[in-house]
Amino acid sequence: MRIVAGVDIGNSTTEVCIAEFEQDRLVRFLASAAVMTTGTKGTTANVHGILAALKRAMGQIGRDISDIAMVRLNEAAPVIGDTAMETLTETIITDSSMIGHNPSTPAGAGQAVGELLSFEHLQKGTADRPYIVYASAAHTYEEVAAAVNRSAKIIQINGMILQADEAVLVENRLEKKIPIIDEVLRIDKIPEGKLAAIEVALPGQYIHMLSNPYGIATLLGLDAEETRMVTPIAKSLIGNRSAVVIKTPNGDIRENVLPAGEIYLDAEHPERIQLDEGAERIMQAVMNAGEIHDVAGEENTNIGNMLRRIKKGMQEVSCDAGSEIRITDILAVDTLAPVLISGALAGETCLEKAVGIAAMVRTQQLPMEAIAEELRNRMHTEVKIAGVEAVMAALGALTTPGTTLPLAMLDMGGGSTDAAVIDETQRVRRVHQAGAGELVSMLIQTELGLTSRTIAEQIKKYPLAKVESLFHMRMENGEMHFVEESLDPRLYGRVVLLTEAGLVRIEQDIPMERIREVRREAKRKVFVMNAVRALTSVAPGHDLKKISNVVLVGGSALDFEIPEMLTEEFANYRIVCGRGNIRGKEGPRNAVATGLVLSYIMDAQRT
Amino acid sequence: MISRRPSIFIYVNQPDPEFLKQILAGIEEEGISSEVFDREETDTGLLAFEAARDSMMGSGIGICGVDIAMQMRGRKRGDNVQQYHMPTYEECRITGTNSARVIKKLSLKER
Repeated sequence: MRIVAGVDIGNSTTEVCIAEFEQDRLVRFLASAAVMTTGTKGTTANVHGILAALKRAMGQIGRDISDIAMVRLNEAAPVIGDTAMETLTETIITDSSMIGHNPSTPAGAGQAVGELLSFEHLQKGTADRPYIVYASAAHTYEEVAAAVNRSAKIIQINGMILQADEAVLVENRLEKKIPIIDEVLRIDKIPEGKLAAIEVALPGQYIHMLSNPYGIATLLGLDAEETRMVTPIAKSLIGNRSAVVIKTPNGDIRENVLPAGEIYLDAEHPERIQLDEGAERIMQAVMNAGEIHDVAGEENTNIGNMLRRIKKGMQEVSCDAGSEIRITDILAVDTLAPVLISGALAGETCLEKAVGIAAMVRTQQLPMEAIAEELRNRMHTEVKIAGVEAVMAALGALTTPGTTLPLAMLDMGGGSTDAAVIDETQRVRRVHQAGAGELVSMLIQTELGLTSRTIAEQIKKYPLAKVESLFHMRMENGEMHFVEESLDPRLYGRVVLLTEAGLVRIEQDIPMERIREVRREAKRKVFVMNAVRALTSVAPGHDLKKISNVVLVGGSALDFEIPEMLTEEFANYRIVCGRGNIRGKEGPRNAVATGLVLSYIMDAQRT
Repeated sequence: MISRRPSIFIYVNQPDPEFLKQILAGIEEEGISSEVFDREETDTGLLAFEAARDSMMGSGIGICGVDIAMQMRGRKRGDNVQQYHMPTYEECRITGTNSARVIKKLSLKER
């Protein structure tokens, strides 16, 4: 009786599988376990995690790790992935000239035009022109209302801008009703004496004058050239319930198109593509390029800097300063990013075109032998580097009930998507591709304008709900969920994530529908596209239809919606595709570790 | 049939007048109506609890002297959504704002 352990060191988790053999015949699988990988994948720091995982698995069956007769390690693919994002356009406003924000309670409705007059200088106003009065939070609503009521008898006040959240309070005390916008944080930046237009939408509606270039032209009396210049402002005010636009004669607003640059594919069929031709065109070129030796970007352009940054990051991780880092695959995705407008008054953002890129870099062989040596010393047992990761994963995937040869395996992890096809003669074709979970997180973070990657990761992983009362919430699928105990009031009215550890609140005020849409779109863009791309390249004759079974394994196969998206997509090609269930009980986990154990039989037969 | 204007109830016992004014301003800014009633109890939590229970909108505030508390119907007595002893004017304003925001099913403001 021999106990054999398969150990799979992944980027994030180390998985083990333990089985019993008798005269080179598999008797049964005994246990499995997973722990966090210690240290960077492929370094001796991993040994600590391996021992912990083995201890845990052996503990399950009440045995000690000294009973293990052989440890089989995977030979991890020497690839690492990284992601980068770059915006292609940017809006710059020199000399602040707009405030477009959505205070929850503006007051009044309609548009107003007038010369900006500060509250302190109310007496200096003259009767010959209309005014828009602005007041800082230093003045109370009663003070403001009383003074404006007095002055309104002498001068014409058409609208107001307030710093404090007091628009309704002031308006309720005014004799003549005017549109008022409040919660303008940087009131000190408002240029007095300039012409301004304000607009507050009717309840339930959006502004329509200031979000229209000709509307702004009408209100502020602009000529054709000036109207062309305010177009980016109008664009960024679309969908607001209130807005202010200030005419600053020296101001300059423009939408810069940054020099995006060219991508050079050094490949079998070399090609150069303009980045602003879009992700689709880039991916088409990557598909047609054949084997890629390296990817580079034009010097001193966005893409050039991006790819250089990725290579530099990789060099640090892989620590082999001497060797050359080459990008062997990229995945490009179009996206929109809310970018802070430089020069804006109230922290306004504008949706800018951006492109996200995941790149994969081939490094030197990972020092697996060093890990094996270290393990041998620590455990005093036989340790063998038994096989290539993708092959082992395919072997493991075969233990899923309902599968048959030829079988395709899709391993979607954090940094890369690996695919392998194993045919009737046990021959394996495999491919590693850039772009997986981390790119999805980055897309979610960018498109929603989140400050932290952590919350983007959580949005990727967990379904959403909106807390509608202290006792019920609406799930993202429309279902109502009632709770017995009152929820925390801090969650009230918020969008939350349903995690194992309870409800996690999303700080940003983004509608649930929007978050869901962004999340699903990001997953579809990355995973569906990459799965089709990867399987096409390993399929016999590059024909997807020649594959009949696809088994999904790896971290992303545990996701609550990605496997379904892929099942739907591949149904179009008449391919059976689904989340793997290793050994009929492990789900999509443990494929490589199981494959390593199974490969023991083949090894034994060979000798 | 007795019909009553839907409003936030504020049960008070010798309230600090400026605190009350700020709370009322917070509610007014959100565009919700409110009614103030004098009560005998001295327990702020109980005042808020009963105000929320009796308000048609299920949102209530209790003020006793310089103690203020905000409650929502359905929560346990004393387990106040917000409560302050000697609050700043801003805290009073936010308490009023939040008592109105819960009716509008908006998230609570924090500062």
